[in-house]
Amino acid sequence: MRSCLFFKEMRNISRLFVIALLAMISLSKAIAQDGDAASGETLFNNNCKACHSPKDEVVVGPGLKGIQQRRDLAWIVKWVKNPNGVIQAGDEYAVALYNKFNKAQMTAFPAFGDKEVKDILAYIEKANTAVAAAPAGATNTAQAVSGGSGPSDLFTYILVALLLVMLLVLGVLLAIVSILSKAVSGDVSSSEGTSMGDKLRNGLVAFSKNSAVRSATVWFFILMVTKATIDGMYGIGVQQGYAPKQPIAFSHKLHAGQYKVDCNYCHTGVNRGKSATIPSANICMNCHGVIKKESPEIQKIYTAIEKNQPIEWVRIHNLPDLAYFNHAQHVNVGGVQCQQCHGEIQTMEVVEQRSSLTMGWCIDCHRKTDVNTKGNAYYDKLTALHAKKSKEPLKVADIGGLECSKCHY
Amino acid sequence: MKRIHTLIACTFTAMTALTSCQRGHDETGWEFAPNMYNSVGYEPYSQINKNPINADGKNMREPVTGTVSRRNYKTQLDSSGVDLMIYHLGKDDLAIAETVLKNPIPNNEKSLAEGKALYGRYCQHCHGETGAGEGAVADMYKGVPNYKADAYLNMTDGHIFHVITHGKGRMWPHGSQVTPEERWKIAHYIHKLQKG
Repeated sequence: MRSCLFFKEMRNISRLFVIALLAMISLSKAIAQDGDAASGETLFNNNCKACHSPKDEVVVGPGLKGIQQRRDLAWIVKWVKNPNGVIQAGDEYAVALYNKFNKAQMTAFPAFGDKEVKDILAYIEKANTAVAAAPAGATNTAQAVSGGSGPSDLFTYILVALLLVMLLVLGVLLAIVSILSKAVSGDVSSSEGTSMGDKLRNGLVAFSKNSAVRSATVWFFILMVTKATIDGMYGIGVQQGYAPKQPIAFSHKLHAGQYKVDCNYCHTGVNRGKSATIPSANICMNCHGVIKKESPEIQKIYTAIEKNQPIEWVRIHNLPDLAYFNHAQHVNVGGVQCQQCHGEIQTMEVVEQRSSLTMGWCIDCHRKTDVNTKGNAYYDKLTALHAKKSKEPLKVADIGGLECSKCHY
Repeated sequence: MKRIHTLIACTFTAMTALTSCQRGHDETGWEFAPNMYNSVGYEPYSQINKNPINADGKNMREPVTGTVSRRNYKTQLDSSGVDLMIYHLGKDDLAIAETVLKNPIPNNEKSLAEGKALYGRYCQHCHGETGAGEGAVADMYKGVPNYKADAYLNMTDGHIFHVITHGKGRMWPHGSQVTPEERWKIAHYIHKLQKG
């Protein structure tokens, strides 16, 4: 038993020596005989990639470049199988590592043996040698890009051509105007001495003195002002387009658009109750407890938590108190998408009230929307009764969507 | 006749002056009858004036110290009669949760479909559609595991329940957003994702 252990130890040491030596000469050759990089890549991507980079950057745990120079295989295998055990045993390196990375413990992989670890190590070596080869290719492509300044030249040519065409059109128009002004004044011979500008001015003066033109202009103005006044009167109490500045410059475009965070994740009440709810600071902390902590906007959340004062967001959708609205009824029961009323929230840097929220707007949707009665026995008799008197599908208006007391009480 | 002309001219001047002003994006504009627009009762999410009763002037009040959130202590779920009081485990009780907690929701098509919808709402942006940690947030957040990784293949429903409730590693607690019932449905769906 003892000799066996000794033999194993010797083998490990000698292997380590060989590995270290070969790694100095040629990184790729060192592991090729020892581990399978392809299967290592699969293992790495499935199990390690979330926290480790094969290069030297820190993701969650340390970058694994040159891990074999830092630690021997036996230690790595022992660590991967049971990191907690190694820390508990008081291994100096392991404890230092644990403390350095904020006491975040690595997940244990008890099923991994020598082979799996070797494969992964082979992949790490391969990934790093591939990097060394990459820069040469990168410079080539960079040159290709910088050489290809063609598109911008083409753009300039098009711009110049357009300018020429526009100048030509302007010349033709001026010629037409001069001919017309001659025709209007009826005096071909006398106008020959005057300049182009004088002719143009004379024509315009004559045009403005025309009584039909004058009254048409005045009426057009009166109608426009009347329409604007009526529109303005209808706009009283309608806050469409309201986009106030919020205490924290939160971007829905970034969170809901780019990072595809579901609306429900923060607005948790939308399926359960009247209000969609504004997330409390602890929901912000689900991500920002770890990332972008240093941003001044996010520091405002930290301050709010420290002072135990809620963030005073400005309410955008102010439905008058005389009307009742329930989110759960529309989203959970009716299956209405958020965007139908709130617009393309996932593209808004600053949220804006997109819908008018007028009664006409509500009623319009209740008249147009079909009730989803499929597979719901509750509606069976209703649909049968409805089919007798109407050929149209069952609308929200048919099941009380226009009743006054549904919203006003 | 002249007076009428003056009147019309004045009206139009006033109309022009009033309509030429536009409401800015920071303004809510005018209201016809603010006393019918603004709630008389205290609404948690709208605050027009300072609240005269609460010391800090807010309409919202914090729960009394020691208040227990009832929704987390629904004593019966479906007809199984399972008492959810036992779920009051601490953050460090993962090992107990793993062995003791049993999923009271039957694993069927209905609960899986609900679990899928809930997973889409609360988990997908990090853990990804297939559970491989390929969500859009994960690229930025880092450290999101693959459910199919060997270390997670044998995790129990209780483990998933506890991690959703209290968080683990880089993941923060989600107990305030996801109800116990929803957590169990998500646990079913995660096992389905592991099978691929």
